Parts: sequence; structure tokens; C-alpha cells
Amino acid sequence: MSTGNGRDRLSNLTAQEAVGGILLLGIGILALDLIRLILLNELPFGRLLSYTWNGIVDSLYIGLAAIGLSMTYSILRFANFSHGDLITTGAFSGWTVAYLIGGIGVADLSSRLLLRADGGAQPGAVGMDVLSAPLTIVLGLIVAALVTILVALLIDRLVYRRLRDAGGIPLLIASVGVALALRYLIAFVYTTDTRIVVASPPQPELAELVAIVGLELPAFLAERTINLHEATLVISALALIVGVHLLLQYTKLGKSMRAMSDNKDLALITGIPTERVIFATWVIGSGLAGVAGYLIVLDRGQITINLGWFLLLLIFAAVILGGIGSIYGALAGSLVIGLTINLSLVWIPSDLNEIAAFTLMIIVLIFRPDGLFSGVETA
Amino acid sequence: MALLDVSELDAGYGDLQILEGVDLTVDDGEYVTIVGPNGAGKSTVMKSIFGLTNYMGGSIVFDGNEIHGYRPEDIIQTGVGYVPQNDNVFPSLSVMENLEMGAYILDEVPESRLEAVFDRFPILDERREQKAGTMSGGQQQMLAMGRALMLEPKLLMLDEPSAGLAPDLVDDMFDRIDEINDDGTAVLLVEQNAKEALRRCDRGYVLVQGQNRYEDDGDALLGDEQVRQDFLGG
Repeated sequence: MSTGNGRDRLSNLTAQEAVGGILLLGIGILALDLIRLILLNELPFGRLLSYTWNGIVDSLYIGLAAIGLSMTYSILRFANFSHGDLITTGAFSGWTVAYLIGGIGVADLSSRLLLRADGGAQPGAVGMDVLSAPLTIVLGLIVAALVTILVALLIDRLVYRRLRDAGGIPLLIASVGVALALRYLIAFVYTTDTRIVVASPPQPELAELVAIVGLELPAFLAERTINLHEATLVISALALIVGVHLLLQYTKLGKSMRAMSDNKDLALITGIPTERVIFATWVIGSGLAGVAGYLIVLDRGQITINLGWFLLLLIFAAVILGGIGSIYGALAGSLVIGLTINLSLVWIPSDLNEIAAFTLMIIVLIFRPDGLFSGVETA
Repeated sequence: MALLDVSELDAGYGDLQILEGVDLTVDDGEYVTIVGPNGAGKSTVMKSIFGLTNYMGGSIVFDGNEIHGYRPEDIIQTGVGYVPQNDNVFPSLSVMENLEMGAYILDEVPESRLEAVFDRFPILDERREQKAGTMSGGQQQMLAMGRALMLEPKLLMLDEPSAGLAPDLVDDMFDRIDEINDDGTAVLLVEQNAKEALRRCDRGYVLVQGQNRYEDDGDALLGDEQVRQDFLGG
């Protein structure tokens, strides 16, 4: 009897389940291999830790951007290909203001205004790190959000609002056009050169930091250094993500956003002012995108007009992986993508690490076509 | 003067005209039913009152205001509540959040109204935190009605509330509607279950191909030989 049952179950195995099994098997094998590498000391434990840490850092800025992409999808009902260039907009506008303020008296106006397009205004000389100019850096962050919001609202007014009821495909195609227009407008002002705009990050040892509050650390932690720019990114991103969560769950606006992503027609007849919800969606989504762009530059040190565009594929992967339209899914997807592109470095060279992320996405989608968190929660 | 006075209403979807000169009135506190064959435009009347169709002519006066051209959030403000036939709750929101959305246009959710809805539908009270999408069809229907009642509308429009309900729940649903009406809310009901609807209502309309065919007291329509034969299956 039992063997008969077993055979039945095997023959009933669908292709999806088979792919899921292979996926789990693959992850299992890689996990075992990871243990082997560490035990044989071929992979120093410290390096594994730093891969994981980098994975978390990457997933946080991907996640910040993914929230907006997911919201536009669930509330405005289209895949917004200009979202990446909103990230770029935030990066350029925020750092321009940081330079304008931070570089007063150090560099001439045009170098500051055009964000070093002429190669002047060395970041070190301008003092572009969080310890030398904390207020300037924070101001830049706020401006990055504000300018990106304004640009997004302007684009909505000029382009998307006219197409509100045109359906997802015309809007998607329009957004590709918007993406290109936005990016090359930025290039028109700032040139296409990649350049360093942030000074090397202060990297105090952990012991120094905790000494400020009068604590001592065990020896193995004390000598670890911490990259303060990365720390700024992590703290800002986490705070914003928690903020969005609280907003969505506990405020009237957040609830109406979830309601509208559930059912736009019902929201309309319930008396929810849908245009106001759309306005809020742009403000939150593009604000977070702008902040993400600004923080990425803070972490990486360099800025380029392709910043957001190149990131967009990973963001889409995260959003789709988590179940498109769900922001919690998007955040979980971001974590998976961020960890995958970094942990895959154990086995493959860094030029190829995005292959791992997209392969994983494809396999997961065959296994669960609606994403990991589909049907769990919208928005 | 009637609470709702629809006259000579022409409306449809895109270029397709569905309603051709529909007349309809609902008085304060009255219970009015629209019956008729599939495709007669029963639901379209309700959608048109809410401005969700393509308006082609005629007038819709509610409580003294010509509401044609109003935005849905303004129509709600005048005192019309609407429960559409399908997808009438927000599935990922909790029961409580669904009701809160019903009172969106108010600055604050009035505790008294919440209590009134919970009194009417105790099951909603028990399941405040449950996601609406995980409730049964009958419970969702009650939630949808509760949501529409949050603003204490003068007129409640219900589009086929008994559709998809188990037979033993249909009677219960009609009882609930009676109760709502007894408490003074005018009801405009569209129903497939024409006999039961006509039995319960004050007045009924028979709509055929987007036009008024008969209009009379519910019992009179039920008793009319022609109506029975053509629309009520004998």
C-alpha cells in the first residue's frame, strides 16, 4: 500500500513542484559546500560575514527603491520603467545641493553646481563625508527626496495623468520614454562622466564608537571597523522602511492606499479621493527612490547617470520575486536579491554575480509564478 | 418631493447606450425594487446614479441636488450609499479597516456608527481583525452593507445582495434589508430573486431593454398576470 501511495505521489509531481525541489536541493548543496569551504578554511569566516553584510546593505537600498516601484504597480497599475531614473534624479539633485552648501569658499560655483563635471571641487577638499559635514549630508538627503518628488509629480501631471485609464501597456511604454528623457536631461546638464563625489568614508573602530557612550566591547568586536557611510545608509533605510510600514498599517492615508491597491473601483464608490491617493503614492514612492539614489552614492562614492537604470533590473527582480504589488513582498524580494548577488561571490566572479540573482528569480517564478509572497498581503 | 428622482435617463458604456429614458423615484424611507431580465440595465441604473457610466442625457436629482456630474466622493456626501454586486469589500483590509474606509470622508470614525453597524451585524464585531478576503460570501455581503451604512445614508442602493449566497442565507439577507429599511433608510434594490424582492418591497419597477415596462406596488406587480408570466416564471 505504502509503496503504491508513494508512486502515486511521484507521478503526481508537477513540473512546478519538481522545479521547487531542484531549487531547494540546489540551495541545500550550496549551503553544504559553504560549510565545507569554511571548515577547510578556503573561505575565511570574516569574508563570509562581509559578503552577508554587503548583501544586507544592497538589499536595503534596493528595498527602498522597490517600495515605490511596487506601489506604482499596485495603485497606478503599471510597471514604471522611469523609476530607475527617479533614483538618478535623487542622487544628482541631492549631491548638487550638498556641494553647493558644503563647497562654499572651497570650490567655484560652477564646479559645485555641475557636481564636478569639470573635475574641480575634490570631494576630500569639500569635506564630503558624514563626519566633516553631517548637516550638509542630511540636507542633501532631504533635497534628494524633495526634488525627486517634485519631478515625479510633474511627470505625472504631464504624462501619466493623461493616460490614467489607458491601461498598463501604454503607461509602461510611456514610462520607458520618460526614463530616457529624464536620464538624458540629467546627462545634458551633468555630462555622462562617472565621477567620485564622496570623500572616503570615516571608518572608526567599533571600540571608539562605544567608548563615546562609555562602554567596552569584547576584543573580537573591538577592532572591527565600521564604515560610517554604510552605517548612515543602513540606519536611514531601516528608519524609512519602518516609517512606511507604520504609515501603511496605522494611518488613514495608508489604509486608503491599501484599499485602492485592492480595488480601485470600490475605493472610488467608497468615497476615497483616488487622485489624492495617487498623489501620496508618488510622494512616497519617488521620495524613497530619491533617497535611495542619494544613499547609494554616499556608499559607493561615485555618481553616474546610469546609476538608477542599471539598478532597475535588480529592483524589478526583487519586486517580482516577492509578488508584484506587495510592498512586504518587495522588501523580502530585495533581501533575497541583495544576499544572492553577494553570497554568490563565494563561487562566481563579481562580473557575473547578477546572473545568480536573475537565475534564482526565474527558478522561483517557475516554482511560484505569482512570487514568493503572493496572496499574503497587498501593499 | 421624492428623495431620488431619476427622469429620462440615457446612459451606457462607451458608445453603447443601455438605458433609454429611464424614470425612477424613491421617496424618503421607501423600499423600491428594480427587477427585469438579464441585460435589462438594472445594475446600470445604479452605476449611472453614481456617475460610473457614460451619461447621455436626462436628470438625476437626489435630495434636491442635480447630482449628475458629481464625483463619487461628492455623491456619497449627499447621502447615497452603494453596495455593488461583486468585489464589494477590500480583501486585504481587516473588517475594521473596511468599515473605517466606509467613513473615509469624515475626519474621524464616529464610534456610535461603528457600534450601530456592529449591533446590526454582530458577526463583524466578532471578526474585527479578520481580513475581509478570508470571510465567507455572506459575511462579506454584510461587511459591504456595513461599510455603506457607516455614513448613515438616506438611500442605500444594493445590487443583487443575494447573489451567490447559500439558499438558507438568502432569507436572512432579505430580513436584514427589511430591518435597515424599518429604521428609516430608503432602499433601492436590484434583484434576480424577483418574487422575493417584490414581496418585500413597497414599490417595484420592471425594466426591460433599458426602458421602464411596469411600475406599481410590489404586491400589485406580483399579482399582475402579465408580469407573472413574462418575468416571474408564471
